Amino acid sequence: MKYKATRTTLAPLVVAAGIIAMPMGASAADEIKIGMLSAFTGTFASFGQLQKEGAVMALEEWNYKVAGKTIKVIYADDQLDNELAVTKAKQLVEQDKVDVVTGLVSGDEGLSVASYMKGKDIPIVPMYSASEDSTMRKWYPFVVRPTWTGAQPMDVFGYWLSKVKGLKKIYMIGEDYSYPYNQAGGFKRGFLRGGGVEVTTVWHPVPTSDYSSIISSIPLDKKYDAVLYNGAGSDAVAFVKQYVEFGMQSKIPLLGQSNTFEKPDLDSMPQQIVGAYSAHLTADDMNTPNWNKFRDAFQKRWQHSPSAASEFAYGSMELILRAIKARNGDVTDKAALAAAMHKVDLSDEPRGPVALDEYNAAIENVYIREVAVGSDGVMYNKGLFTAKNVNQFGPYDSKIYMKQPSDGPSSPPDLRADMPREMLEVAKDYEFVPFGK
Amino acid sequence: MNQHILILVLNGLTQGALFFVLGSGLTLAFGLMRIVNMSHGAFYLLGGYMGLTVLRLTGNWTVALVAAGLSIALLGLLVERGLLARIRAGGDLSQTLLTIALSMIIADMALAVWGGHTQSIRSPAALSGPVTVFGFTYPGFRYVLMAISAAIAFGLWLLLYRTRFGIAVRASVDDRETVSALGVRIDIIYSLMFMLSAFLSGIAGVLGGTYLQLSPGEDTTILTYSLVVVIVGGLGSLMGVVVSSLILGQILSFSLAFAPQMSMFLVFVPMAIVLAVRPEGLFGRRL
Amino acid sequence: MTGTLLQGSSLRRLRLVVAIAVVVALVTLPAYGGQYTLTTFIRTFYFGFLALSVGLLLGQGGMISLTQTAFFGISGYVVGLLGAERGFPFPLPELAGLALVAVVALLFALVVMRTHGIVFLMLTLALGQICWSFARQNTSLLHGWAGIPDIQPPSIFGVDLTQNANFYWMSLALFSLGLLFLWRLVQSPFGLALNGIRESPRRMSALGYPVFWLRVAVFVIAAIYAGVGGILAAWSSGIVTPTALQLSRMIWILLIVILGGSQYFWGPVVGAVIAVWLDVIVSQLTPRYNTVIGIVFVVVILLAPNGILGVWERITAKRRALRQVPAAPPDSNQ
Repeated sequence: MKYKATRTTLAPLVVAAGIIAMPMGASAADEIKIGMLSAFTGTFASFGQLQKEGAVMALEEWNYKVAGKTIKVIYADDQLDNELAVTKAKQLVEQDKVDVVTGLVSGDEGLSVASYMKGKDIPIVPMYSASEDSTMRKWYPFVVRPTWTGAQPMDVFGYWLSKVKGLKKIYMIGEDYSYPYNQAGGFKRGFLRGGGVEVTTVWHPVPTSDYSSIISSIPLDKKYDAVLYNGAGSDAVAFVKQYVEFGMQSKIPLLGQSNTFEKPDLDSMPQQIVGAYSAHLTADDMNTPNWNKFRDAFQKRWQHSPSAASEFAYGSMELILRAIKARNGDVTDKAALAAAMHKVDLSDEPRGPVALDEYNAAIENVYIREVAVGSDGVMYNKGLFTAKNVNQFGPYDSKIYMKQPSDGPSSPPDLRADMPREMLEVAKDYEFVPFGK
Repeated sequence: MNQHILILVLNGLTQGALFFVLGSGLTLAFGLMRIVNMSHGAFYLLGGYMGLTVLRLTGNWTVALVAAGLSIALLGLLVERGLLARIRAGGDLSQTLLTIALSMIIADMALAVWGGHTQSIRSPAALSGPVTVFGFTYPGFRYVLMAISAAIAFGLWLLLYRTRFGIAVRASVDDRETVSALGVRIDIIYSLMFMLSAFLSGIAGVLGGTYLQLSPGEDTTILTYSLVVVIVGGLGSLMGVVVSSLILGQILSFSLAFAPQMSMFLVFVPMAIVLAVRPEGLFGRRL
Repeated sequence: MTGTLLQGSSLRRLRLVVAIAVVVALVTLPAYGGQYTLTTFIRTFYFGFLALSVGLLLGQGGMISLTQTAFFGISGYVVGLLGAERGFPFPLPELAGLALVAVVALLFALVVMRTHGIVFLMLTLALGQICWSFARQNTSLLHGWAGIPDIQPPSIFGVDLTQNANFYWMSLALFSLGLLFLWRLVQSPFGLALNGIRESPRRMSALGYPVFWLRVAVFVIAAIYAGVGGILAAWSSGIVTPTALQLSRMIWILLIVILGGSQYFWGPVVGAVIAVWLDVIVSQLTPRYNTVIGIVFVVVILLAPNGILGVWERITAKRRALRQVPAAPPDSNQ
């Protein structure tokens, strides 16, 4: 075949078709558009599914109507890829002309989108993206996050393990990206402050499927008190399964980060891990009227129990809808809409009362949990203790906290000896009340 | 410390065993038909999901293994007869591209049917307990995996070197025209070989889904590793796959132990070195 | 009769009118097109550069390279590292990026150009994967998965490229220049020699052509096209991540070139416009967009192996035959 460097009429015609075919964002006056950016396909499709279930439940409770306006949700699939997330955010902003952007699963994805959205003056409500800098060092007033930062539950968890349980040395194996960095950062700060000596960290690429070599390289002779697996999703299932298969559970106890033992991944894990601790902002056996109402409705709608990702999505969508209602359906002034979001009352949030701090980040209860087996033989996360009204800075002063470098693969330091003094002493630390009190 | 090394070697063997099952099918189909089946990873994932469903229905792991292999073999037959055979005249490139497009469809349909959550196939209770040999414990199922892989290697050797089918295949690899002239239906040989390749990927899906896990995206990871195995070994060479899957398994195992943050990089670098020195791969013939 | 009207010079005149109309429509697009239309065309341009890069090697040289996204990524990363992170002013990071692309491409070419066919394909796959895995796993310099954010397009001669319309005009101009240069290149003695090498390397070698070095040269040129696309992409999306180098993107571009028609100069352009447009529309219509796009590719490969331009050529040739035009116009084929 010859290479044909010919003129063709078709090429310009195709370009012309491209110009004509571009959809224009048609905007009806009585319609409010919410763009939901999440991973609906690809390795992390599970999170998109969980988020959508929570968000749809909130929307259905409002019947997709607020203050006489119809709520239209545009779902955009970013496969949890930072570059694709920006591309899709552009679509939501430029074409669909959405009034609010929500969704967002991972930390990096949240930071990338927030960076693109800066100056666009459209409120962003991250549902699960937990990189603390979105509501700290890189915050701007259009970011409203009624959910969490990675460090928030982990600071409590680390402190509890060293102060209350008396652990001294932890071996942490984590996924190599920003959300686990932030979880590790919180954990190290809390653990070393409470009297821990060392948190050794090992990072592995995402995704990894065979952990046997990482697991068999855990130095059993170095007297670590526990292994903390700092990963989630398919990585967590594979890691935990192989940890048990290698008989490690009987040699050194396993701890998880907030998402490691979350449902539905927990359903694919072996029952030998019963008793493993973790900390999150939900627990499966919460027994408050708000939680029970939510859980029953969720169970009825989707035929399975809710996980944290769904609850967060539900609560975030609730916040958006309530703010629109407070504005009486007028979303033209986006700054006022963001301000209204800050003022929304979330004291009836299913997982426990939520308030927003000056950076629009959540102040909320953190629960210490352990994996347990229910009477039906199915594993769940059983609440043990509650630390009430924890904010994103934990027990630290916000200025001292933000002066520290952002959490990364090797910051904060692994050893108590290397930790800045101001991060080891605080005026008032957490109090743990028995779960349910 | 020595025990640590021994476990790492065993881990490498386990990985290598899975890589062999994946790579052998891919390389045999290439050797005969000159196409690189880029749906191999998607076949693997689909095979794993089929096994998962059959296991839930029957509760029998062996039945699930065979059923997954057969269903993917059937899919392979449909793909070969229905799609690839139609464009054989178009050459290797269009067939390879077709399998790429096909893998997009299969992976997306698997997501639609089985959802995005991570799932794993429960290993048969009798085979999954830890086995203690020479004073150290190692998961029993991993020995099973190695045994199955070795059995497949032996079976493939028998098939290729001790049966009429094998003679026809090897003759076709060397000289298609003559074999056709001798009255051998080469299109049937093609179909059978593609089915065999698909069968192996389906089985690999169940093996991988049992000792690792099944989730969307796994298809690409597996395809990448399969390609590395086949390329390093030499396209079309069964012996090459044996050697390269053993090597690759060890590299992966040791790099995850000593330099986890470099593990993927360390897998691809040897591949580039081998190819730069011997572009046809360790056991490949000059193409 | 329209049949006679559309013959010979009339047909050429019609083609000219269509082309001019499209050029005018493209240049004035910011006046009537929505913001997202501009963004999508910008995407078409940077993927278009990548497609031209793949198309040059495939159509002109008969080589399927799976390394091109690595060059796309390398230039993007250099822009991020030197520009966004270290604050070097335009055009230093961009030129450094292209220089690095050229050097890496030269090194790669010295290795891969000794091979042909499927071995070439696999070798380029290996090199591409090395670059990708390095970007993916290096956290100290390249920040692994997170990539390098906060990349801003510069101001050139006082034109602020952060404005979408300005950025669109700049990429349109750059893409036109790229096409023009390529057009000249494929018709130059260099291009003709490449064609000859693809058909019969041995004969060209016997004729005294430095076959190896010609192939190395075309590989470097193709890499620079990919590199320019990478810079545009980094400016436009404001972030560079390992996705830029990913195999799935490489395959996507390869399919784009096939879709348009790899044997045609305009194939990569037509393919890029259709594929980007298809992706945007279909992903908004159904969450199963990967299936739909996959089916489109399967159908094209099965029924139109020469791509959309191949179909077009067949249709126009048939129509001409029906009208019993004595000889096909000289410009239908070279």
